[in-house]
Amino acid sequence: MMGSVAERRATFHEERRFAALTEPLESTGHLLYRRPDHLEKITDAPQAERLVVDGDRLSLTVAGGPTHVTDLAAQPELRALVDAMRGPLAGDTAALERAFKVAVRGTKAAWRLDLTPIDPRAAKLLTEVRISGSGPTMREVLLVQANGDTQYMSIEP
Amino acid sequence: MKRGHQRAVAWRQAAPVLGALGVAIVLLVGVLSRIEVHTDMLAFLPAGETPAARLVLREAREGSATGLILIGIDGAPVAELARISRSVAGGLTRSGLFAVVAGGQAAISEQDEALLFAHRYLLSPTTSEAAFTVPALHADLERLLGQLRSSAAPLAVRYGLRDPPGAFLAAMGSWIGPSRIRTIDGAWFAPDRDRALLLARTRAGGMDVPGQEAASAAIEHAFATANPGGARLLEAGPAVFARDAARAMRTDVHRIAIVSTLLVILLLWWRFRSPLVIAAIAVPVVSSIAVAALVVQIVFGAVHGVALGFGVTMLGVSVDYPVLMIGHRKSGETAAATRARIGPAFILAVITATLGLTAMVFSGFPGLSQLGVFSAIGLITAAMVTWFVLPPLVVAANLAPVAAGSAAWLGRIEALRRWRLVGLLPVVLAAGWLAARGGPAWEDDLENLSPVPAASRALDAELRGELGAPDVGQLVVVQGEDDQAVLRRQEALIPLLDHLKAEGLIDGADLAARLLPSATTQEARRAALPDPDVLAERLDAARVGLPFRPTAFGAFVAAVRASRSMAPLLPADLSGTPFGARLTPLLFARDAAWQGPIALQGVRNPARLAVALADGGVVTDGVATHREADPGLVGSPAAARNAAIYVDMRAELSHILSGYTARAWRWLGWSGVLVLAALAVGLHAPARVLRVLGSVVAAMLVTVAVLTLLGTRLSLIHLVALQLVAGVGLDYALFFARRQLDAEERARTLRTLVTCNAMTLLTFGMLAACQTPLLRDIGMTVACGAVSAMGFAFLFAGERPATGVPRTGSNERFG
Repeated sequence: MMGSVAERRATFHEERRFAALTEPLESTGHLLYRRPDHLEKITDAPQAERLVVDGDRLSLTVAGGPTHVTDLAAQPELRALVDAMRGPLAGDTAALERAFKVAVRGTKAAWRLDLTPIDPRAAKLLTEVRISGSGPTMREVLLVQANGDTQYMSIEP
Repeated sequence: MKRGHQRAVAWRQAAPVLGALGVAIVLLVGVLSRIEVHTDMLAFLPAGETPAARLVLREAREGSATGLILIGIDGAPVAELARISRSVAGGLTRSGLFAVVAGGQAAISEQDEALLFAHRYLLSPTTSEAAFTVPALHADLERLLGQLRSSAAPLAVRYGLRDPPGAFLAAMGSWIGPSRIRTIDGAWFAPDRDRALLLARTRAGGMDVPGQEAASAAIEHAFATANPGGARLLEAGPAVFARDAARAMRTDVHRIAIVSTLLVILLLWWRFRSPLVIAAIAVPVVSSIAVAALVVQIVFGAVHGVALGFGVTMLGVSVDYPVLMIGHRKSGETAAATRARIGPAFILAVITATLGLTAMVFSGFPGLSQLGVFSAIGLITAAMVTWFVLPPLVVAANLAPVAAGSAAWLGRIEALRRWRLVGLLPVVLAAGWLAARGGPAWEDDLENLSPVPAASRALDAELRGELGAPDVGQLVVVQGEDDQAVLRRQEALIPLLDHLKAEGLIDGADLAARLLPSATTQEARRAALPDPDVLAERLDAARVGLPFRPTAFGAFVAAVRASRSMAPLLPADLSGTPFGARLTPLLFARDAAWQGPIALQGVRNPARLAVALADGGVVTDGVATHREADPGLVGSPAAARNAAIYVDMRAELSHILSGYTARAWRWLGWSGVLVLAALAVGLHAPARVLRVLGSVVAAMLVTVAVLTLLGTRLSLIHLVALQLVAGVGLDYALFFARRQLDAEERARTLRTLVTCNAMTLLTFGMLAACQTPLLRDIGMTVACGAVSAMGFAFLFAGERPATGVPRTGSNERFG
């Protein structure tokens, strides 16, 4: 159903809600995916940011500052987040099932994946991931953190 | 009846020889079963000259770092390497033989993280009163909001809200340190190539050979059961070196013992064609090994494998004595008559050969002294047994060389001596060439004398670099009466180290105080923490204009409250944790004092570093200054005042080496004088002394030239091997130089010496094929030296034949 394309670009709109904050934080930008495991999330506004994942290497540059490189293998929590995004794009159901309990609902035209992390360290942070889409396109991603914080992203091709 | 009588006679003749050999063998077996054989190579190296160097050398031998094993796996696709690496790591952990197995898990365990997080305000260098003022907190909150907007939001929620000043991340940064390791599929990989990396530390000490053998077997087993396919396992580290050196040496010693014995027996068979002669020759040789091993065991408390290997090779020299005795006997001659004919040359040869070994005995290099004692005792014993025990046996069995008497070949060969001036040519060439290139190349790096092959050392450096493990070559040793004193002293050095890093003199420094500050420092930080109610008020002021809820920082305030009554974290609190394992090599008790070595990374200019450190009050323990340093510096009251010492191991070791080389030169000079005196007394005629010594000096010159030509850098080892060459060369020259010999005796001498030379060549040639560098160097030098010694002794030491010698030679055959 997904992952049939070698490269894919899309724009996104994101809304994060935190228990610690009185208002949601919104941002917009675009996504780039290249097979098999390259993912870029470029945020344009309100704060420029560039997140690149290549294999297990995650590099993050916030607002023109220094680039932080993180090893996903050493960070199961982050890895779960990345896998949740990259798995559906790559169409790599096996990779998804390694990291999550996967429940599929809906039809090919309007599907939904409910992911629950398996790694206990990841589960401490991330309660569930809900992804929905139609055909080969991912439309919405909702991340629910263990503390109730949420991150909602809608994607336009 | 008659045949039976003959058999009885033969038995009566043979019985004493066989009986004596039986006694010698029983003695040898008895001694070998009693002695303690050591194979660890570090026992062979000298102790350091200064207290700090001794400490570092001893730490390098016995410290917890010695159990470190660096493992690399390469030669397969990355995914496959990662799978093998994970499987090996699992196998090693399950074996229970390793205190630490690291190769891909998170850099910091949850348990450690919780400990670090709880103590963050005491451990972090960021804690100060200024960090908790309203402006500082406001800046922290703005930064935190930016992080919440970013993809790092989960981390900001997890750590940032509970710790806006960022104390935890700062403290953790010190523990993790900069590392270039990549992680792929849960396995560590080298930064620049497809090689999986693992780091293990054995529970057994590095020099605990059985413990290391077990650990090594566990690694090989774990690798084999991981279905490695075509992948290659690489291992390095002090323990691996010790194990490999010990293995190589055992193989070498066994092989030398067996092969040289066989070769010598074959040669003797070819020469004498009599099993009884071989048995007789074996009597002094076997007893000499037994006595030498016994004496070394008594003097040194153990026999080193290298001494045993070398000693067995000394067979090639000590076997000369019985061969000379039997080879020179005329059939039917009495013991006294043979002794009388060869006596002066024989005794002088034994004395000079033994004197030649004095340089080794007194070299002060523990391993070499043992070799020297083993060889000297072996030579003397072989000579004594040959002189006192062998002749009666030989007479009883009526043993003598088969082809006694002169032959036509003698004259032809001796005629070569008319060309002896031509023989000077290689000597002049060698001397001229050596002089022109400014002498032979000298080895000034003790590391190259290390028993560890250069390839293994290169692999170690490579894996260390890839893993980011510090090298132990450059250290600042900090000492104190307890662990807290060491930590306080290290803290005083941190500004200096930061300055050195800024100057580019070092890339970094790994020290205990950066991981775990002293209790004093922790208490000072604790005192800087604000009252929780005051902090809550300041936070309210700080979040004005920012979208944080009033309740957002409850956990932060609670943590500060808890920290204000928290006891400082002490080294003992970390024991048994992975952090403890990281801290132990950097902070430990030794010799009633606490030691905190600071490993300096990326030192490019030790001389400039020493100057910069001296400006900062750190004493340099190097060639230039340590002569003036107080020898009782370690653990003395002086240590309390100035307990930071810079140790450049490379310089220190070079210095040690040059000290030993100078000493070896001195002994070479002394033994030269002694040999000269012995020759002057023994030979009377100055012309003969000159010819004998000249041939030996010529052989040594040519040997040095040949070694240099082959690209060898001469070291202490070669120097003592040259002494051995001198001893052997004197042997030959003295026998050739004997006066008033008839042709028959000259033929016996030539034959016998050729036999001796061939035996030396065979045994030391075997040594040259060893894997143990030390033995290889000695073998190479002696084999090369023995051949030239034989040639020059024949040419220069023997009498020059009168004109028309070929005819005289053949005439003598009839006369």
